[in-house]
Amino acid sequence: MPRVTIDGQEMEVAAGTTILQACLARGREIPHYCYHDGLTIAGNCRMCLVDVEKQPKLVIGCYTPVAEGMVVHTDNDKVKKARSAMMEFFLINHPLDCPICDQAGECRLQDYAVTYGSGTSRYTEPKLALAKAVDIGAHVTLDQERCIQCSRCIRFCDEITKTGELGFFERGERSQIGIFPGRRLDNPYSGNVVDLCPVGALTLKEFRFQTRVWYLKNTSSICAGCARGCNVVVGVGQQQTLMTTSGQLDDRVKRIVPRVNTEVNDWWICDEGRLSYQREQASRRPEAPVVSGGPATYDDAIAQAASALAVAARAGTLGAVFSPRLTCEDLFAWKTALEALGKAAMGVHVLKRGDDDDLLIRADKGANSTGARWIVGAGAPPERARTLLVLGDTLDAADTYAPDPKTEAQIVHVGPFVSAASERAVVSIPAASWSEADGTFVNFEGRAQRVKRCHLPLGEARPGWRIALDLLAAAGVAAPAWTSADDVLVSLASRVPEFQGITPEALGPLGVPARRAVGA
Amino acid sequence: MHGPEFEARVDAIVAKYPQPKAAVLPVLWEVQKARGWVDPASEAWVASRLGVSPAHVHGCVTFYTMYKQRPSGRHHVQVCTTLSCMLRGSDELVAHLERRLGIPAGGTTADGKFSLVRVECLGSCDTAPMFQLNDDYHENLTLEKVDRLLESLP
Amino acid sequence: MPAERILTRNVGRPDSTTLASYEANGGYQALRKAVTSMTPDSLTEEVKKSGLRGRGGAGFPTGLKWSFMPKEVDPKRPHYFLINADESEPGTFKDRLLMEKDPHLVLEGTLLGAYAIRASVAYIYIRGEFVYGAGVLERAIAEAVAKRYAGKNILGSSWSCELVVHRGAGAYICGEETALMSSLEGDRGYPRLKPPFPAASGVWKCPTTINNVETVANVPFIVERGADWFLGVGKPPKNSGPKLYCLSGHVKRPGVYEAPLGLPMRELIEELGGGMLHADRPLKAVIPGGSSVPVLRADECDVDLDFDSLMAKGTMLGSAGIMVMDSSTCMVAAMARIAHFYHHESCGQCTPCREGCGWLERVLNRIEGGTGLQQDLDLLISVSENIIGNTICALGDAAAMPTISFVKKFRDEFQHHVDHKACLTGTLALQGVR
Repeated sequence: MPRVTIDGQEMEVAAGTTILQACLARGREIPHYCYHDGLTIAGNCRMCLVDVEKQPKLVIGCYTPVAEGMVVHTDNDKVKKARSAMMEFFLINHPLDCPICDQAGECRLQDYAVTYGSGTSRYTEPKLALAKAVDIGAHVTLDQERCIQCSRCIRFCDEITKTGELGFFERGERSQIGIFPGRRLDNPYSGNVVDLCPVGALTLKEFRFQTRVWYLKNTSSICAGCARGCNVVVGVGQQQTLMTTSGQLDDRVKRIVPRVNTEVNDWWICDEGRLSYQREQASRRPEAPVVSGGPATYDDAIAQAASALAVAARAGTLGAVFSPRLTCEDLFAWKTALEALGKAAMGVHVLKRGDDDDLLIRADKGANSTGARWIVGAGAPPERARTLLVLGDTLDAADTYAPDPKTEAQIVHVGPFVSAASERAVVSIPAASWSEADGTFVNFEGRAQRVKRCHLPLGEARPGWRIALDLLAAAGVAAPAWTSADDVLVSLASRVPEFQGITPEALGPLGVPARRAVGA
Repeated sequence: MHGPEFEARVDAIVAKYPQPKAAVLPVLWEVQKARGWVDPASEAWVASRLGVSPAHVHGCVTFYTMYKQRPSGRHHVQVCTTLSCMLRGSDELVAHLERRLGIPAGGTTADGKFSLVRVECLGSCDTAPMFQLNDDYHENLTLEKVDRLLESLP
Repeated sequence: MPAERILTRNVGRPDSTTLASYEANGGYQALRKAVTSMTPDSLTEEVKKSGLRGRGGAGFPTGLKWSFMPKEVDPKRPHYFLINADESEPGTFKDRLLMEKDPHLVLEGTLLGAYAIRASVAYIYIRGEFVYGAGVLERAIAEAVAKRYAGKNILGSSWSCELVVHRGAGAYICGEETALMSSLEGDRGYPRLKPPFPAASGVWKCPTTINNVETVANVPFIVERGADWFLGVGKPPKNSGPKLYCLSGHVKRPGVYEAPLGLPMRELIEELGGGMLHADRPLKAVIPGGSSVPVLRADECDVDLDFDSLMAKGTMLGSAGIMVMDSSTCMVAAMARIAHFYHHESCGQCTPCREGCGWLERVLNRIEGGTGLQQDLDLLISVSENIIGNTICALGDAAAMPTISFVKKFRDEFQHHVDHKACLTGTLALQGVR
């Protein structure tokens, strides 16, 4: 392994590593725009210029591999001067849009200008004027003036989605990102160019002017859109004193962005997953428990439900339909509870739409269908129960679960959304939605990953496993002494063989493969 | 979009390169020869024929200055104005043409007969000042020569 | 003493573009000699020995460049020979002369180079504006193919080499060798990061050599007469061979002049070029190598026009485009015009050139037009220094280095524009058209 010296520190670096990669891996910042781990190297922004001894000029760190005996300076006067010069060049035609630009607060131009810039501008000429707020796709807006021509977006559409919608048009100073007239940026991953864009040239329409990023409370979690389980960061608005443009009070999810996990989704997420919180926010939430069509207290609803389920369980006439979006904790808690009450025919609803694609999208829209199969079993939902317990979120564009309209079964519903099932239920108890409770999902490859609570549940909603416990208590049945989702997971891991060895700590931020990694 | 003869010429061009994308520039030349300029429909056609995205073709059309994105005059006057021509009076030549044709550089006459544009070094510095009229170089120009030439054009 | 015309020996002969005329004057004998009695490597060695340096602008030793190519051809990675006929450097028009007046010399040189590097196809990338020249080349290629000098089984040998004319479409940057490759592949003319170098991975990721038109035009003579003969012309060992000089600007007889490398500049201007255009307007400045190189003041013009002599004077031979300016020239206007060129031609890929070239032109236009400020003079130098060395290719340097030289050497003129909002020497509009 080549031994190199970077800023006076000697280190061994694997052959083939670039100076930039070597520094980033060791937590040493080298400013850069156009370089991205997931894309080919462009080397055009020139921000990562570093000083390598014996080289006649500064070299770009993103493209220069380490060599035995190389001595690199990333922070000497020559480099500082070059960085300041590059920042000046970046800013001379850049519009002063910060006050109205969504990128503010997570903008590399801002950050590097503060850290590496000269603090003043010597440019007194007119700035280039180009098109602003151009609608180029269902989810993406382009501002050609803000663009720094790093080409990340073009490379993404060429190399990752292979759809080639974007290109450079014109030449020289007038170069601009564009889309062929009449075409749209409409591949299923279009939103990723917004993440990639280091500045505010590409912004997400759904996030436009929603909030400032420094008001977001960010939580690492897992997308609930399909069985891939892309790692995400969920941003919840915290501007408590203001109504948002959507008319909702804050403390709601404002955006979802992908989190890097090279075992699951690399750097990307599909548009449907990115915007999955909108489905949640558009769905009706039950405001309170409902008993026989009218509002009831939580305790009343629990008592009624417990009674109905216990009777049916003892008589062997109980069926339960589990949503494939329920967390492992909820699944295990309900299965445990139903078995404690007696007998129940259990099945997992199947949510399938479209096809698997070559990238991330899975036809299986059940984020935890694998976990559900391991915990509840592979059986189909029961058709002919006289009492039917419907658990979790089963709403989807297709394959939405709805009980047979002709059935005379009494329905008990515990879930986050108003649905056909909840409206026919004799008892309906609101449960926490995906973003409102901790839990665990297992993706289609058998990887167990942690879902985290991003904000408090709405109204009377509670995590499903807690409702199950309360129900057992109301039925007079001994219940496990769980006080948190972590407790449930520990129990689950000791009882379901696929989960052996899985603890909240083991899951970490990136998840861990379960003992039996499953094919499909 | 274009007839079988055109398609045959395009096929012959593509055959000269190991990959079809390399034919983008020569095929765009064929399009411009046939139509006088490169319209968006032609860009899409070229993209489809050569297996590249329309954005790629448009990127080439807007990068290379000789491809016209709108029709020019029948007589397209391209005056070199880089240093050696500037030293020998290209600026006055341009001013004269602007007056004579009644259009600013960059424009086209209303009857579509002439268009006038300033271009960079045409590689004819020893015969400055000069211009390229459509495909042909006209060199060692004087204002009188220019006037006579313009009058002679149909 | 008039030197022997080597490169331009056929120029001016009737029907000089025809194969018959070329053959009658001994043409294609070098190709025959190479294909029948030399190996590719021995040909490369001969060119190496001759000291021939690239005539496109960089002056890189040609034989050495050829020797970088693999000595065996991997069938999955054919070798490509590219002729850079993009000639767009302001002040340069020598390649055009050769292509239009002696196309077979260019073709024979191309075929020899292709033979040396084991290529089976050579693309001649000619700038789009040279419509006439492209036509001349196409007709010459047809003649050469018919006579088996090009195409399949050349001169009865097992070696085949196709010649393809590929027209550019208006982009100076495509004269940069990696941008030429991008353009040939059908992309926007963006220069590429190096390494890899073309011999390792060039067009279509295959081993590639790129040479200038004038460079390859020397090769038939090296083959026929030998490297030692070549070394006897010009100023050996590092500045050997004949050279085409392009003279333009304020001289009586602008044109292409051939002389052994190392022709004194004064001789070119005063004798070959007929001296200054106007007797009452003495020499003021000369750009010796196309507009990308630093300018020389009149008192710096006692210099030989070869690679090393000009380098020692702080400038370059470059493309040998000698642009002569007399006392009526406003140096501020001249530099503003040069800056406009680079601003127009910058590909836009990398930040310092994309933003910096436009900035330089705007500041220069303000100074020229009378709204320049004192700080603008140092600003020009500072911005130029921030560009130099920080770009992907040399176009940024090509804008910056002349800027620095103009401001430093003619500071009084720039200062006058700032102080008096007027020109020190009178504007170029006074020149008038002949």
